[in-house]
Amino acid sequence: MSSWKSLLLRIGDKSPEYGTSSDFKDHIETCFAAIRRELDHYGDEILPFLLQCVEQLPHKTPLYGTLIGLMNLENEDFVKKIVEQTHQSFQDALNSGHCHKIRILLRFLTALMSSKVLTSTSLVVVFETLLSSAATIVDDEKGNPAWQACADFYITCILSCFPWGGAELVEQVPEELERVMVGVEAYLSIRRHTLDTGLSFFEDDGEVEKTLNEKDFLEDLWSRIQTLSTDGWKVDSVPRPHLLFEAQLVAGKSHEFGTISCPEQPDPPLTLSDITYGKQKYAAELNYPQRIRRLNIFPSSKFEDVQPIDRFVVEEYLLDVLLFFNGCRKECASFMVGLPVPFRYEYLMAETIFSQLLMLPQPPFKPIYYTLVIIDLCKALPGAFPAVVAGAVRALFEKIADLDMECRIRLILWFSHHLSNFQFIWPWDEWAHVLELPKWAPQRVFVKEVLDREVRLSYWDKIKQSIETAPGLEELLPPKGGPNFKFATEDGEKSEQHALSSELCNMVKGRAAARDVISWLDENVIPKHGSDISLVVVVKTLLDIGSKSFTHLITVLERYGQVISRICDDQDKQVLLISEVGSYWENNTQMTAITIDRMMGYRLISNLSIIKWIFSPENVEQYHTSDRPWEILRNALCKTYNRISDLKKEISSLKKDIVAAEEAVAKTQEELNAAESKLTLVDGEPVMGENPVRTKRLKAYAGKAKEQETSIRNSLEAKEALLTRALEENETLFLSLYKGFSSILTERLPAASSAQTLQDLKSINPAGANAMDLEEPSAMEMEMDNEDSKPEKSHLNGKTEHSYTVGENEQWCLTTLGYVKAFSRQYASEIWPHIEKLDAEVLSEDSHPLFRKAVYSGLRRSMDSI
Amino acid sequence: MASLFKDPSKLSVYRDRRFQGTQDEFELALQTSTTVYVGNMSFYTTEEQVYELFSRAGEIKKIIMGLDKNSKTPCGFCFVLYYSREDTEDAVKYISGTILDDRPIRADFDWGFQDGRQWGRGRSGGQVRDEYRTDYDPGRGGYGKLVQKELEAQRQLVDYGTGSLGSVPSVIPQYGKHGGSHGNGPRHGRDYHNRKRYRDDDRHAHESSKRTSDYDSRRNPDHESRPQKNPRFRESGDSDEEDDDDRKQRH
Repeated sequence: MSSWKSLLLRIGDKSPEYGTSSDFKDHIETCFAAIRRELDHYGDEILPFLLQCVEQLPHKTPLYGTLIGLMNLENEDFVKKIVEQTHQSFQDALNSGHCHKIRILLRFLTALMSSKVLTSTSLVVVFETLLSSAATIVDDEKGNPAWQACADFYITCILSCFPWGGAELVEQVPEELERVMVGVEAYLSIRRHTLDTGLSFFEDDGEVEKTLNEKDFLEDLWSRIQTLSTDGWKVDSVPRPHLLFEAQLVAGKSHEFGTISCPEQPDPPLTLSDITYGKQKYAAELNYPQRIRRLNIFPSSKFEDVQPIDRFVVEEYLLDVLLFFNGCRKECASFMVGLPVPFRYEYLMAETIFSQLLMLPQPPFKPIYYTLVIIDLCKALPGAFPAVVAGAVRALFEKIADLDMECRIRLILWFSHHLSNFQFIWPWDEWAHVLELPKWAPQRVFVKEVLDREVRLSYWDKIKQSIETAPGLEELLPPKGGPNFKFATEDGEKSEQHALSSELCNMVKGRAAARDVISWLDENVIPKHGSDISLVVVVKTLLDIGSKSFTHLITVLERYGQVISRICDDQDKQVLLISEVGSYWENNTQMTAITIDRMMGYRLISNLSIIKWIFSPENVEQYHTSDRPWEILRNALCKTYNRISDLKKEISSLKKDIVAAEEAVAKTQEELNAAESKLTLVDGEPVMGENPVRTKRLKAYAGKAKEQETSIRNSLEAKEALLTRALEENETLFLSLYKGFSSILTERLPAASSAQTLQDLKSINPAGANAMDLEEPSAMEMEMDNEDSKPEKSHLNGKTEHSYTVGENEQWCLTTLGYVKAFSRQYASEIWPHIEKLDAEVLSEDSHPLFRKAVYSGLRRSMDSI
Repeated sequence: MASLFKDPSKLSVYRDRRFQGTQDEFELALQTSTTVYVGNMSFYTTEEQVYELFSRAGEIKKIIMGLDKNSKTPCGFCFVLYYSREDTEDAVKYISGTILDDRPIRADFDWGFQDGRQWGRGRSGGQVRDEYRTDYDPGRGGYGKLVQKELEAQRQLVDYGTGSLGSVPSVIPQYGKHGGSHGNGPRHGRDYHNRKRYRDDDRHAHESSKRTSDYDSRRNPDHESRPQKNPRFRESGDSDEEDDDDRKQRH
């Protein structure tokens, strides 16, 4: 890499490019000197590279701003080009709704203003354009309030610039700044408060008033900016390198930025209804998502040194590093621990990372990315970070009963994976008390699921060893036993079914073809034993043959899948098949899940059969005590979703192929026509058409191109038909899922009149649930834990006792409602198109309001009607 | 995302000598591949462990364990096949260098699994790296194969003589049992004598790359979304060449 490149890239970092110096002034001077030397020769390379750095290293914006300010003194034209290009990219980003680019470029413009490259009035003009667009959007008459997400985003971008340039603006254009602030305030007064209960980490629906009074993200940012303004716009976390060069920079000629325009948002729906508004609002929120939801898990004492605005700035830094350094482990960790701020921020960093890992509906990256980041930070800060992570785990564990179900499973997956990278060391004795809790207590379920995942990543004995300090927890380890083969020949039992099983086994060992097995079944087995018994014997035997590994399973299914589909030709049989899988792998959730997943992959079973099985009594009774049924349901929905998105991708690529094929046809045809219309002399005679050999060849080409086009068209048609069918099937799928949930919940939920909220549900104390906790909690503990739902500690003769007072049926309802919400949220985009049908058939007035609430909040739909 | 720090040449530092094609073809194969090569695994790690870990990067299509060509037992590497390229990239990005079974494993793009590549290419049957190692690695069968042979020879020599050198740990590769007193004890339920595989069963490696690896895709073979495998690739990997072990030169 040429030296100017690495100097630009590494500016501000502790790196060999800059020797021992970590002084910003040195860095800027060194870098500027190098750039100045190369500008005449490499200007065309420097410009795009510099802008790339600006866009991808936003935590260095002030450094680049100052550097460009210095360049402006030497080469105004070059800097003019930078400004023009930035204008172009900014307008493009606005048009395409590219949120990160808009946000980062606006910050860059602020830095350019600070270093006198840009006039402050032209920055204010940009702010005012965004402001007026935002105000229009939320206007009922002129705009489309369903798109408030976009308006909020614009305002967030404006406010986000103030930590970087508020001080300069107030000095240079105080009146204009004041005008912008007033404008923002006016906007805040007309917009709606965002009440996204569907996306909050903790289920605190009982405290509606609290959520109403709590500030949403924009209101919160506004209050931080107001504090900043009263504090004289002083921010510790933003470096101001331009001040070091102030004397020089004032001599520079400031450029104008030029006007920008915000794109029009879609018109409001023609007929405004709850549904049409909801669909648009959902689409807007997908396009302009909120970047972070704060996860408050540490006591405020951990943030005493951090000013409100610093918290916002550090979060911005961290989120940008996570965004741009995905896939660069080393840089990611070193930038995260080396932010240019004068205070410690490990707790803030942990809260920010966990807020991303648990973010709803989904994090910007796969959860496993954050696992890796946490591992790397533990290694980068071995003295500080592991303890902070452990603190976060403890804090989340304390609140686990209120944690969203989706967040819980993410936490389980993360924690087990994290521990597997650190020798499975954890002070389990701290949690040994969960054994005293009922089997449905969320803390106990959490420990059990973490241990199960640990065993999957490792092996039983190893995990057994890791809980040595709390040997009682062995009770929560998954069973150690292997598969459950009831036709094993060793037992000495010799029923007819045993005989059939070993006969089949021998056929498989003798490499019998699937069709031979089918005729054996048709001729000898089914007529004599009936189809159900045949099914059980065949399935169990094949599963046993494929039980040795994942590959063995696949091999058996590939070879004898037809046999299974022959005997499982309708839904009831498929359900029986799945329950046979469940009982064969009773002791091993992973293998159960994998087997069912593969069977769905080979289309031996449909997603509808899986859902039907999920609602069978054997599963329903473990909804609140185990993740097993939920894992299988998640897999089935995920696979369905993947299939549809694969189809959509294939269709869009085929459409591109068609355009290419059409072009090829046109081109070959043109060549052929040209050739045919030419007069040539053949044996002295003038003949229409060119050299016949060539004409023939061209004809063949044209024919082939035409054929090719037709064939692509045919496959496109076929794929589109498949997609139409798949979407119809999806509707059936979600209908049957919601119908199932509605009916089992109605059976178990208390009457709507007595349970309006989840809080009501939690406070139904069944007789006996309090029996183990007769002691009154002390006054102090009452203060800390004054909700019945939380695990209470009471000290009996110095011994700590724990209890969980939510009854079994109530917990069952809470868990199930939590999953209904989680699935609705995750597949909201798939569900919204079918909402009319769902409303009519499932979410009617007769359905339980708590069930409807769960669905609505998952879909982020207004709950006014409930 | 951060294209600034990504080294574009990184993909192709290593060149598998078994790949019969040009450098460009090799790079293209890596850039479009949905196969991950996993190395530095313990011999005891099972497919199910690999599944649990790697499924966190995406839906897995297939896992092929690398086997010692003599003993037919796992010899410390495997291939994980995904359905989508994005998931493959995530597996490489997020899993390489993390711990599985107490070992830092590596995960790299692979040019594509071919039958035969599941066998170790070392003279003794396992991976070449396990031929010459001189350290004691309980997760990979104790000492390297050459050292083991030497120790074995010494022991026999000594046994004929005074019989005084009984302290050398028994390191004859006995998969399923644990090599000597080192390591972390026997693993119940993970005994590879019970996990012996039927090799013929594994010859189904070339179906289409669709999630619906079933009837749907067979109906329409014209437009596979991924390029067909190069037919020139060697079909069987039987060879004693020791110098071209998969990952020897990758660092």
